[in-house]
Amino acid sequence: MFFARFSIAAAALIALAACAPPGQQAESGAGATGPIKIANVNAQSGQLSSLGQWEHKGVKLAIDEANKAGGIGGRQIKLDLFDSQGDPTVGTNVARKISSEGYVAMLGTAESAVTLAMAPILKDAKIPNITSGQSPKLADLKSPFLFLNAPTSVTFDETLAQYLVDDKGHKKIALISNNGAYGSGEHDAFLAALKSRNVTPVADEIVTPDQKDFNSNLAKIREEDPEVLFIGAEEVQSGLIAKQSRELGIKAIFAGGAPMGTDVYAATAGQENAEGSAVSSPYLSNDASEEIKAFAAKYKAAYNEEARMHVAKAYDGASILIEALKQTKGEGGQKLADAIRGVKRAGLLGNYNYDANGVGIHETKIGLVKDGKVVPEAAS
Amino acid sequence: MKRLAWLVPVALAAWLLPYGLGGYSIHVIDVAIIFAILAIGLGLTMGVAGQINLAQVAFFGVGAYTVAILTTQAGLGFWTAAVLAVVAAVVFGILVGIPALRMQSHYLGIVTLGLALAFTNWVTNSTIAGRAEGISDIPVPPMFGIDLSSGYLFYYVELLVFVVSLAFALFVTRSPLGRRLRAMRDDDLAAGALGAEIPLLRMTAFVLSGLYGGVAGVLYAGLIRFVAPESFNIANMFLLLAMVIIGGRASIVGCVIGAIGLAMVREALLDASGYAQLGYGLVVVLVVVFAPKGLAGLPEQLRLLLRRRGSGSRAQLGPFLPYDSAPAAAEGDALDVRNVTKRFKGLIALDTVSLTVPTGQIRGIVGPNGSGKTTLFNVISGFYTATQGSVLLGGHDVTGEAPYRLSQRGVARTFQNLRLFEDLSVRENILVGLDRTRTAWIWRYPILPWKVLGYERRLRARAEELIERFGLADVAGAEPRSLPYGIQRRIELARAMAMSPTLLLLDEPAAGLNGEEVRQLGEIVRSIRDSGVTVVIIEHNMGLVMSLCEQVTVLSGGKVIADGPPAEVAVHPDVVAAYLGDSMTAPTEAAAEAAIEEATR
Amino acid sequence: MQVFLQTLIGGITFGAVYALVAMGFSIVYRTMGLVNFAHGSVVMIGAYAASTFYLATQLPFAVAIVVAIVVTGLIGLVIERFLRPLENKDFTLMLIGTIGFGAVLEAGAVLVWGATGHAVPSPVATAPIDLAGVRIPTYSLMVIAIAAAATGLLALFLQRTKRGAAMQAVAMDHQAATAVGIHVGRSNALAFAIGAGLAALAGSLIGPMLYVNPTMGGTLGIKGFAAAMLGGFGSMPGAIVGGLAFGLLDSFAAGNFQEYSELVTFLVFALVVMIRPTGIFGEATVNRA
Repeated sequence: MFFARFSIAAAALIALAACAPPGQQAESGAGATGPIKIANVNAQSGQLSSLGQWEHKGVKLAIDEANKAGGIGGRQIKLDLFDSQGDPTVGTNVARKISSEGYVAMLGTAESAVTLAMAPILKDAKIPNITSGQSPKLADLKSPFLFLNAPTSVTFDETLAQYLVDDKGHKKIALISNNGAYGSGEHDAFLAALKSRNVTPVADEIVTPDQKDFNSNLAKIREEDPEVLFIGAEEVQSGLIAKQSRELGIKAIFAGGAPMGTDVYAATAGQENAEGSAVSSPYLSNDASEEIKAFAAKYKAAYNEEARMHVAKAYDGASILIEALKQTKGEGGQKLADAIRGVKRAGLLGNYNYDANGVGIHETKIGLVKDGKVVPEAAS
Repeated sequence: MKRLAWLVPVALAAWLLPYGLGGYSIHVIDVAIIFAILAIGLGLTMGVAGQINLAQVAFFGVGAYTVAILTTQAGLGFWTAAVLAVVAAVVFGILVGIPALRMQSHYLGIVTLGLALAFTNWVTNSTIAGRAEGISDIPVPPMFGIDLSSGYLFYYVELLVFVVSLAFALFVTRSPLGRRLRAMRDDDLAAGALGAEIPLLRMTAFVLSGLYGGVAGVLYAGLIRFVAPESFNIANMFLLLAMVIIGGRASIVGCVIGAIGLAMVREALLDASGYAQLGYGLVVVLVVVFAPKGLAGLPEQLRLLLRRRGSGSRAQLGPFLPYDSAPAAAEGDALDVRNVTKRFKGLIALDTVSLTVPTGQIRGIVGPNGSGKTTLFNVISGFYTATQGSVLLGGHDVTGEAPYRLSQRGVARTFQNLRLFEDLSVRENILVGLDRTRTAWIWRYPILPWKVLGYERRLRARAEELIERFGLADVAGAEPRSLPYGIQRRIELARAMAMSPTLLLLDEPAAGLNGEEVRQLGEIVRSIRDSGVTVVIIEHNMGLVMSLCEQVTVLSGGKVIADGPPAEVAVHPDVVAAYLGDSMTAPTEAAAEAAIEEATR
Repeated sequence: MQVFLQTLIGGITFGAVYALVAMGFSIVYRTMGLVNFAHGSVVMIGAYAASTFYLATQLPFAVAIVVAIVVTGLIGLVIERFLRPLENKDFTLMLIGTIGFGAVLEAGAVLVWGATGHAVPSPVATAPIDLAGVRIPTYSLMVIAIAAAATGLLALFLQRTKRGAAMQAVAMDHQAATAVGIHVGRSNALAFAIGAGLAALAGSLIGPMLYVNPTMGGTLGIKGFAAAMLGGFGSMPGAIVGGLAFGLLDSFAAGNFQEYSELVTFLVFALVVMIRPTGIFGEATVNRA
């Protein structure tokens, strides 16, 4: 059928009949021998490359451990790193590359926009992808081959709203968020969570991801004298907003998602400004539990730097994949996707239990920033 | 036709290429072709037309986004959306190009860059454009049942579009329009004086830029089927710029080679993009310093290096073949300047200057440096607008008309410090002068290209005639800058005459010429006058003025101080005073003659 | 009113930094007719040099600024030496050459310092000044003061010293300057070094306000460049006024147009330069005939 159609077209285009359509059979992903190829796709250059580098370290740690322990049924796992440059177009290129070169699964990326761009291609190629993105739109795709290694913004912000409004009784809440993929996701999710509690924000300021001076936005927020300022932005920008807010004399509690639990946030804001910020995250600190402490020590030994959430969730994602691969004995495709969905794992970020949308973790915890570190809320 | 024989193996190779490639490699090629089309567009605007356009990537984005929005939100078919997308990109190109009417070079660069940022900002925010996540699920372009979601089959669609795009770009650059664009790039003032409608040409450059950006955007939307703001950011603009510079911005084929080459290199270095970035930067710097014409200019550079070693023969001017004499077409005054005053911020360069030149006269304009001679020429040829007063050509008031319009009315001029188009050959310099079409004529380019080619052939025949007449046959293929000064003066004169003017303004045509050359110049000017052209000549060489001009006007301090036959003017006391300074008392006739002799020497 | 005044404060603080960047652009442009698109990246290198030194040695911030100025001054000399064959010749090529240098510096910074960047603690730790509800951070005051002082010193240098006068002469007519015995090459190199030094000053000052990372130069460069254009390219007072104007434009657009601020800023900018292509003070062009 395909052949016939093409021939007609070819004849129409040029009188070069009897030529077979060019093309290749995709390499069968799971050859029964040789190493199992896994791709890690993340930004290694550009604005968001720090995330990508952390992610890669986490993934590599898990894979190295698995290989040292004998691999998958005696076969080693071969991990290859691809640079998405944070650019969705490059992402689609990479997706095509890994689908034509026999990779059985992909880990990454940390940016939802890139993962969203790659998802259709990976779905067609039946390559399961465990991403570190957390945009609700990833879950909306309902792709059977896409899995998140962390909760979506909806979970982050629902937990946060529950804590701020239901538990603490705050009603005067202001929002400031950027219009990037992460910021707008956070904005929409938090706004929805407030709405379900019949709380209308006293201010709702939106900035650009490149913006550095927030005086005018914050001055407007200060007029409303909010009790809580929700910040929906990446680490550095969250820090800048927090710093400038305090300089302007805004006394509100800062609240936000995982970026505000990082040292980058605390350092950019200044430790005293970050003090007391409420963070909703599945991974609060490196000493939240014995498992996490052990992981953090392992990570420190391997890379001589402190572990963080991005590392932990990449490690979790890789571990889930390894577990699933053991079940399929290295086979990929639909079988691997089903195996991933079946994995129940007590990970560093919580208990993984995948639903139909590919979301594995359904709760976050609340922590407060103290001396630049996050401590669980209950303990403070 | 034999010259095009090499195309056959190239076409065959392009046709068979996919058979030897893997699924991913063909995708890489597909992307590279899109960049090549973009690079052609940028090459046309920046390399050929000299407009620094840093918004090419935004035109690309407009094309891709329009397809995405129209197919996913408005439910239009892919190809309908594609046509509208190209139109949208062209319109956006025109909007971004408007600042080019007021500013050039780095100013234009930063404004277009700002507008490109504004575009990215808009798509990041607008719900209709999918905000930061972009738009996915763009439908596969339908094509008579062929499945274009296959990168292999899409390759053939792209190849076809690419070949048409490339052919059109080559056609444009080698046609009268392209020559005008290049002339504008080299020297927009001189191009204007030769009848090129500069504002329209600049907009044409941006239309072409938008066109190619739009076409590339459509292909992008069909291939990737996903758009997001990051794909059209500044980093990609700089990558595109690097492609064009490395390939050679003035050569369309160079741009294509640069684009495809760099796309391949980028692919090879995908896993080391940090170093790749460093590499692009370094290569761009090195190319700019050592091979300013890029890869496309390298063969030429090598040839020059080799030739420098061998002994080059000096170019020779041939004899001038006089025009057939023809009586002046009309009686009356060719030029009438009435009470023209020109002020520059308090400085009065021309002060109520009046002068009348009858048809068929050779008029000399003399005066000390800074007396306003060139300013007067600039007012007559439309470079300056008179603050007060009016200029009439053959009885028509033309005050304040743009240079290109005056040129169409038959005013031609040369420049004091030579304004030849440096990167055009001598022949092309003359062809620019010969081309008398209005820019509006360019609608023929896409619709009736064979008419354009026919016109070009006729122009070329006339150019040969003119080259022969001015004795430039030896140097016709050379670039003006490589030629001796005397020859350059002759070329400028030939270029002015190529316009078949009725009024010829010569600004110090004898400056820098040796005695023999001055004598030839006198002969040429007389022959030109005899063919029915009125000539006004600014000159310091008094011998030439005295022997050539029928009437001489003397300017001093922006005022006409004398007007009459050369012999009379030379002894006019005010003239003598102006030349010798006010310190002299009333000059005697002997002193005046001495002064003239001094000036003549 | 308070919102207005607070917006004004933010605008002026960032405007002061843009002004420093714009002055760096302008001094190079007026002296040698070079549009240095790498300037933003030089600012970034300056920020890295100052902050790295400051964090590593804990010496006073002023010392770190001096170190940064020396580092970028050297980089400026290298760029100038490289592009010298193109000076006063092909404008477009120089433009693109400096864009290439910008890419090299940015990629170099990623290789040396990594892509992550770092936060710089504020060197003055006192509480902001409160004027009837409008809060002015002390560091902002310091930035404005240093920028003003630098401007004053530069003006003194250009008008009162022999070297400065020579640079002015080169700016006006480099052929005539050569004729009276001024070493144009040396003067150009000095201009480039001063321009780079100003970039370092801007970079060092902005470090504690923001966060230092390799991509910070891009936006700063474009906005500083736009500021220089707004004021009148090559004009020193123009650079200051243009910088402040752009800072204010940016700041008010952020307050009033929210996420569309960038769109509005650049549209307004394009409109203004359409109306007055030579900027507020007119272009102090070098003679390139």
